[in-house]
Amino acid sequence: MREKRWYPIVYMFAVTAAFSSIVIGFTQITRARVQANASLAFERAVVTVFPQLDQTRMSSLEIHRAFAEQITEPDETSGGAYTLRRDGRVVGYALPIAGQGFWAPIKGIIGIDADRTTVTGAVFYEQNETPGLGGEIAKAPFQDQFEGKRLGPAGAPIQFRRPGRDLRDNEVYAVTGATQTSTRLEGIINAALNAWRARLGEEGGTQ
Amino acid sequence: MTPTGAPSETRQIAVEGLWRNNPIFKQVLGICSTLAVTNLVLNTAVMCAALIFTLSLSSATVSLLRTFTPRNIRMMVETLIIAFYVIIVDVLLKAYWPQMSSNLGPYVGLIITNCIVMGRCEACGNNSRPAMALLDGFFNALGYTFILLIVATFREVLGMGTFLGLSVPYFGGPQWDKWIIMVMPPGAFFMLAIVVWVFRSIQIAREEKAE
Repeated sequence: MREKRWYPIVYMFAVTAAFSSIVIGFTQITRARVQANASLAFERAVVTVFPQLDQTRMSSLEIHRAFAEQITEPDETSGGAYTLRRDGRVVGYALPIAGQGFWAPIKGIIGIDADRTTVTGAVFYEQNETPGLGGEIAKAPFQDQFEGKRLGPAGAPIQFRRPGRDLRDNEVYAVTGATQTSTRLEGIINAALNAWRARLGEEGGTQ
Repeated sequence: MTPTGAPSETRQIAVEGLWRNNPIFKQVLGICSTLAVTNLVLNTAVMCAALIFTLSLSSATVSLLRTFTPRNIRMMVETLIIAFYVIIVDVLLKAYWPQMSSNLGPYVGLIITNCIVMGRCEACGNNSRPAMALLDGFFNALGYTFILLIVATFREVLGMGTFLGLSVPYFGGPQWDKWIIMVMPPGAFFMLAIVVWVFRSIQIAREEKAE
């Protein structure tokens, strides 16, 4: 049979079908888990930027529950941001940001207080920057800098500075050795904040 | 390689893969991943574990199918088998270790094109018993692993002042001006060249002594 001309073709089809079915089956089994991981990363980021919610002691399940029960989806009064409300009043905004990094898209959440000026936190939960360099944006030392900053005037609400310089209220240090990642992230954050402000302004900007 | 399976046979495969015919410093295969994933030790370790899994099993699978596979399409079949195991590793990481999966980015998928895997399937999987092919794949992957870990250790300690993310005495302190270039791609070229040079020198010195 092996000498037949059709044998290699049939053999290749058979082998491909066999291995593919196993891979497809395997992917199906783990699909729910993979998707859950992706949405949990997002929910964890949103919960983290609200100082009212202490996420450090929460399990994954508690984070999911806190997100589902306490966070309000973006609506016409929030300018595209998720909100945390207490007794019907907004106590904080969580603005999703996304854009192209140096290697791959960066996604994150910027937390802003009800005064729409004070930053309550920043998390960059999806990125593929160079490990050890641009990848530092996903780590605490970089993200913690944002807490307590006050958004600057229109145009550039948040600015990145070289490490070592004196910082103003709306400035954070860039990542050393990762100029590209820093510049792009700064652009992504400012574009999102400016768009958010514009949307809020159109709605009357009641503060 | 005669498929007898005696202990000395196993030992010989081990010596070949780990030292005499080491994939990195002797065969100089799989260099692309050596350069790409060695700036943090943890990433390197996971990458190497993935390669050990892929290389051992694909070599064994190629060997299992070797009597049925027509010679003229064997490389297509080998690529298919390698891709199969790599996708399994990739999906496993995505499902159970999402953080690591995002750290390694596209490099897990690129194991498919790692020349060591195809090289061993061709050199050993095609003409030995499955058990021998499995061992050959395993020890070659291990030979790759230990060199990568050496490179990664130097790069992370000199470039970041950490080992496995933990601060290292002296290098983690303010008196050590971190060599940023070590964690960037050019640092890998320097480290790899030094490692290949050192190991080859040792190898040549030992061979001359033996003669």
